[in-house]
Amino acid sequence: MSLQKDPDRYEMKYLHKFVDLKDKRVLEIGCGEGRLTWQYAKDAKSVVGVDLEHDSLRVAKVDRPVSVESTVTLACADSEYLPFTKEKFDIAILAWSL
Amino acid sequence: MVHALEEIRRVLTPDGILIDMRPLADNWRVEVVSLREVKRTGRVEDLPTQTNGDLAANEAMKAVEKRGWFKREQDELFPLFYSWDTPSEMEEFVDDDWQDFVGLTEDTKRATRSAWAIADGDSRVRVRVEILIARWKKFS
Repeated sequence: MSLQKDPDRYEMKYLHKFVDLKDKRVLEIGCGEGRLTWQYAKDAKSVVGVDLEHDSLRVAKVDRPVSVESTVTLACADSEYLPFTKEKFDIAILAWSL
Repeated sequence: MVHALEEIRRVLTPDGILIDMRPLADNWRVEVVSLREVKRTGRVEDLPTQTNGDLAANEAMKAVEKRGWFKREQDELFPLFYSWDTPSEMEEFVDDDWQDFVGLTEDTKRATRSAWAIADGDSRVRVRVEILIARWKKFS
């Protein structure tokens, strides 16, 4: 299969145009397999990616680049009941999930 | 959706930012593209539930803005492409991965195959999706 999704990387261009991720704590809701996550994670201070799909998260955990292993945390969670009591985030990204 | 947005608001810092990035359901164009030209051959058929999803998401954002939870600061549309080497690969992907919500008509399949067959050697087939990105600032 020769599929290329967003070969021009417009998503990243527009994400960077809309928000400065540098040194920010980011929550990504609907991270899926991490396709978008890996592209911006190196810029952020920390990233928590949540998704309801176990299979997608399993792929994300396998595919997570070594370079962002200490930056990105992945969790199975429902956006209606986020499992954070004390943690605060500077930026939340609803990635194809609203 | 509104409850999820309330949760997001809860975990954001007082001056936190919410980025809403999502594909819009209507008008996913099918194109055959080469270095020389872009030829539109049809569109992906979307089901009413998808368009309803867009409306529901827009309504949810309007509701939270009305409640004073978030303020829209900026929004824009941009294209995102799914691209394949051949029409058959596109058809296979649509059948396998998008079968629950979209499809290709026989007319579109035929037009795409024909356009690709007579196009330049570097031609690819792609679906153009419109993406909405919006920046919302949390109101404390």
